[in-house]
Amino acid sequence: MQLHKHGLLDALCGEYLVGTLRGAARRRFERALREEPLLRSRLDAWQRFAPVPAVSVTPSPAVWQRLERDLGLAPRRRSRGWRPWAWAAAAALLIALGVQLTRERPLELAQVAELSGKDAATVGAFVSRDRRTLILRASRPTSAPANRSFELWLIPAEGGAPLSVVVLASLDARLAVPDAYVDRLRAGATLAVSTEPAGGSPTGQPTGPVILAGRISG
Amino acid sequence: MSTAARDGRSAEAFRRLYEMSASLLLGAAQRILGRRELAEEALHDAFARIWHSAASFDPLAARPLAWMVAIARNRALDLRASHDVSRVESSAEFDDVLSHQPADPVEIRRLRDCLGRLEAPQRQAIALAYDRGLSHSELAAHLGKPIGTVKAWVRRGLASLRACLEGLHATP
Repeated sequence: MQLHKHGLLDALCGEYLVGTLRGAARRRFERALREEPLLRSRLDAWQRFAPVPAVSVTPSPAVWQRLERDLGLAPRRRSRGWRPWAWAAAAALLIALGVQLTRERPLELAQVAELSGKDAATVGAFVSRDRRTLILRASRPTSAPANRSFELWLIPAEGGAPLSVVVLASLDARLAVPDAYVDRLRAGATLAVSTEPAGGSPTGQPTGPVILAGRISG
Repeated sequence: MSTAARDGRSAEAFRRLYEMSASLLLGAAQRILGRRELAEEALHDAFARIWHSAASFDPLAARPLAWMVAIARNRALDLRASHDVSRVESSAEFDDVLSHQPADPVEIRRLRDCLGRLEAPQRQAIALAYDRGLSHSELAAHLGKPIGTVKAWVRRGLASLRACLEGLHATP
């Protein structure tokens, strides 16, 4: 195999991004990253191709509160441990990040429900900020049994009959939310999956066993 | 600028940085850890590290988010190794991650294209390591191959990938 002259550095950068560089080897790499501009530039070249995370999950406020405390950022304790470069470094990073996110804003998804049931994979339900995209991600790949389909239902917060959202061949899915359902896809409503004859329920209401259900929380 | 004023503005810039990116970093950590409370632990540790390493960040770097995500992912991998996070059952493919890319910037198209050119075992090993956070030894167990073999797959796959991404020809 022919590697060009930065072959070893590139291999280390690649393993660092993929996640197979571990333990002492990673710590040495991170130290070198702080000290070697060449290594930083090789890593940056790799990072041009790094995908943006597929899903965003809103952290609980406790995480920031802990950071404020641990890093001494809280207004009254601010004087502890601050270095002169801190403002410039944080600001430079902020501006660069702002430029990147403006240019390639990812679809902002928040997890709104976890669907669970007996004998089935757990399924996370994620919704875009405008509630027009719904993504289901199963904890393990699950396809509908032979000659059956899965069907996703929305049970409105105010009650009433389940509304059919989509017929699915597997529990991993990405779909456009029908206009009429956008406003109903909110806290208090329930998402459920039933197993139906191939092609979906013949009656418009669930006819087979409900294998998964979860209430929308956010 | 007085020290207090400068410190105040640093804290403000850092807070905004957190607000803009924390949910994405948490998404990346949760993908590896599965468990929310562990993922938040990784998020906290990653931002502490970002704060301490901000001075060595190159402001001309193209994609700061990638730099931050790599820090969060690696912290999540450390936590995954030290906690009993359930083992992976499924096989992973990059299509899963790549299909969620909102826009289709030229770099992502290029990445998809170059991944498609890798030999299947190399691509699978890299995909499992990236998407599910498997270590070399976990990859070896999962794929039923000696550790030396999977290490070579990852290493050679990355070399070919890099050559392809840069438009060079890899000689296998």
